[in-house]
Amino acid sequence: MWYKRTLPLLVVFVAGLVGFCQEYVAHPAASRLLEIVTTWFRIIGGFALFIGLWSLLHMHAGRIRRRPPGWGYSLFVFIGAALMIGTGLYNSGSGPLAAAPGEGSWFQWMYTYIQVPCGSTIFSILAFFMASAAYRTFRARTLEAVLLLLAAAIVMFGRVPISELVSPYFSKVSDFLMAYPNLAAKRGILLGISLGAIAQSLRILFGIERSYMGAGD
Amino acid sequence: MAAAEKGTPPTAAEVRRLHAVRRMIFLLLAVAVVAAVIVPFKLPGKPSSLARTVFEDLESLPQGSSVLLSFDFDPTAKGELEPMGIALLRHCFARNLHPVVMTFWQSGVALHKTMVERTAAEYGKVSGRDFVFLGFKPGDVNLILNMGESITGAFDKDYYGRPTQGMPALAGLNSLRTLSYAVCLAAGMTTEVWIAYGGDRFGFPLAAGCTAVIAPDLFPYLQSGQLRGLLGGLRGAADYELLVGTPGEATRGMRPQSVAHLFILGLIALANAEVFAAFLKKRRRF
Repeated sequence: MWYKRTLPLLVVFVAGLVGFCQEYVAHPAASRLLEIVTTWFRIIGGFALFIGLWSLLHMHAGRIRRRPPGWGYSLFVFIGAALMIGTGLYNSGSGPLAAAPGEGSWFQWMYTYIQVPCGSTIFSILAFFMASAAYRTFRARTLEAVLLLLAAAIVMFGRVPISELVSPYFSKVSDFLMAYPNLAAKRGILLGISLGAIAQSLRILFGIERSYMGAGD
Repeated sequence: MAAAEKGTPPTAAEVRRLHAVRRMIFLLLAVAVVAAVIVPFKLPGKPSSLARTVFEDLESLPQGSSVLLSFDFDPTAKGELEPMGIALLRHCFARNLHPVVMTFWQSGVALHKTMVERTAAEYGKVSGRDFVFLGFKPGDVNLILNMGESITGAFDKDYYGRPTQGMPALAGLNSLRTLSYAVCLAAGMTTEVWIAYGGDRFGFPLAAGCTAVIAPDLFPYLQSGQLRGLLGGLRGAADYELLVGTPGEATRGMRPQSVAHLFILGLIALANAEVFAAFLKKRRRF
């Protein structure tokens, strides 16, 4: 129990306390400590990439085994991962430890002509869904909906240069809506989130919040 | 009245009508966007004050100053952020500033590499001497804190595997504390990380560029002065292209974007005309 519960809590408390105190110590040793600790964190962060990859492949392997509807798409995850990892490691024959693949490499070719167009397409088709959703859901049935609709319409129109052909005031009103009412709402949300984050950090530091330790703690 | 509004499940005929309407919207939008790309028409171009601030900040830097460009996006946001990045790189190269390019998005490295290399070639700039491409390193907040102590400590080698120590493009840039300017182009929330752990902590001026959906979230930081300026979406990129005097992808993209916005506004008006007509019909009944 001591190794599974008390020791991790102690490590979190000491690490948190050192990180907190470091902020208030102007000695060069504190700065050096920060450099060392952040380098450690980055090394640990590198392993998170492998865990992420493992988690993704594990999930899709499960889908292929269970064969739910659309399981065939999971095959593409393995094909894509194998091709990209394989060509990346091959590195035009230079091996994985040489400098990164150059302009004419297979890796770069697949990235430029497969990943880039696919990624851009996914983001671009959002415009079609937004247009359809705008037609089906943006209905002015209450006063609040009317206000939201008017604000959205002005911002949408004011954000494109064609509005200048109608009146320069559209972009000015659009800027006003973004810089004041939008800002007020966003700031409120931001303050709420920040206060919540501080409270949560203190809870973790003092061992009240233990969900990060896994189930049962 | 649609079944959804009555709280009952839609009938088969209603579902068919909905699907037909949706497909018609997709088709009309595609036709409108393609037509706007093919048919040239001139749009007025007046850069926003937020884009102008970024431009004037870079204009005011002495030649040879280092400008950190954090390209935190991948191909999904290429349409909006690539033209922005290229315009910023062109401005830096034209002014003989030294762009130091890095990313927190591993999936974007190859895209950023191409952007940097092609733009540098336009101006005859040499890697290591006139600019540095650091590529990707994991760590987010910790990487920024690490760079705040030592840039060459955080990135001991550049993307091409050359030691950063002694690189002419990094001369005088020991850590983020001595950085002249930074711009974060983000498709996620890395701008907020740069504000909290970079600009605020190490005291360098920071500006941002982002996709249009993120821009509203960043306005509080503009008013507080934590961000110097903001390039929002494709419009922000077009503004910067105009300021630099190199109209490109973003400027051309203003035509289809204008038409798409007008199309969506038209759809909203049409949908509300239906609501208004239903409202009038209901009133007449009473």
